[in-house]
Amino acid sequence: MSGYTLTYYPVRGRAEAIRLLLADQDIPWEEDEVQWQDWCSGNHDERKKAVFGRLPQFQNGDFVLCQSNSILRYLAHKHGLTGDNDEESAHIDMVNDSVEDLRKKYGRFIYFTCQEKGKGKYLEALPQQLEFFERVLSKNHNGSKFVVGQKISYADYNLVDLLQCHLDLSPECLSAFPLLRAYLERLVSQPTLSDYLNSDARKRRPITLKHKMAESEK
Amino acid sequence: MSGYTLTYFPVRGRAEAIRLLLADQGVAFKDEEAQIPLWFAGKDDRKKHAVFGQLPQFKNGDYTLYQSNSILRYLGRKHGLNGSNDEELGHIDMVNDGVEDLRQKYVRLIFTEYDTGKDKYLEALPQQLEFFERILSKNHNGSKFIVGQKISYADYNLLDLLHCHLDLSPKSLSAFPLLSAYVERLNSRPKLNEYLKSEARNRRPITPKHK
Repeated sequence: MSGYTLTYYPVRGRAEAIRLLLADQDIPWEEDEVQWQDWCSGNHDERKKAVFGRLPQFQNGDFVLCQSNSILRYLAHKHGLTGDNDEESAHIDMVNDSVEDLRKKYGRFIYFTCQEKGKGKYLEALPQQLEFFERVLSKNHNGSKFVVGQKISYADYNLVDLLQCHLDLSPECLSAFPLLRAYLERLVSQPTLSDYLNSDARKRRPITLKHKMAESEK
Repeated sequence: MSGYTLTYFPVRGRAEAIRLLLADQGVAFKDEEAQIPLWFAGKDDRKKHAVFGQLPQFKNGDYTLYQSNSILRYLGRKHGLNGSNDEELGHIDMVNDGVEDLRQKYVRLIFTEYDTGKDKYLEALPQQLEFFERILSKNHNGSKFIVGQKISYADYNLLDLLHCHLDLSPKSLSAFPLLSAYVERLNSRPKLNEYLKSEARNRRPITPKHK
């Protein structure tokens, strides 16, 4: 066992990129599930450790870390997923920051926007956002490898997760982006990642708490 | 000269934390301006090359980088501002992500909700600042930096964000003694202080919405 623990709600949300990284790198971890109501009540033990009052939270022995992107970067440093040099590392960072920008928009849309009225506008603006990533891919070995450099990096896991969220929202959203489509197909077919994606653990988790609520209302 | 160039609009905005870092570290750089109306009208050529269509842009010789937090982390790595080990760096990163979260709220207020949302924002602000006060209190009782024994890139970003909030509400730190002392202490660092008094700094408003 790695000694790693990941604490989060029983959804994909902001923990999934971390799970994809650990699964693909064949690093076992303990999943510590927290129910949303328990967290909100303020009584949960982990809440006291949560530096900004939120999840996910990651633990490596005594070391506790919050903020999903910091957790990704910490694991990247530990497991050689930050590129070959400072310059490549910063480009990976830059792509990840942009994944985060789009993730924030997605989160705001899912949680705070009326789905019927807002979906059209969100999907209209989406291609311009995806175009940035298509262009980044095209400049790296014509999109045939990873989003930056020759090896997989932490930004790839975050981008894969974000693309999967968007395909759930709109199954056609990558139709105008051949490199992104091929990239996603290529990455999800990597054996250890594919195993995880087909696992019960993955399948029983809805994407967000909103998705979870919608499911339980059916 | 470092070979560094920073390109941004003539405001503090998302470039200021980078400027604070470079000034405090005594690293000279070329400060290039882009004009807002031209940029947003698509008439600045640099926009086509900007990986995500945005500024700030940072250059180190032939190397070009975007995204303000990635620029901070890159400079952190180059100038020894990334803590002493992976765990400390993880915590510095975590604090910086927290600064970014609050910065996004601040930006949303200033650009889209100022007239209607200011009171509500100021009501919610203490809870946000409390997180940072608590982090400080756990690090040498708040007498040093936000994480660890040395200044890190997160300190410059936090300092800038606190400056923005003091501008918004001069009393916003009055309930936070550690944060108040922290701001004063960092502001008094000689090179940083020189920069804060400079004409370059003082002619730049915080955002285009500020006069």
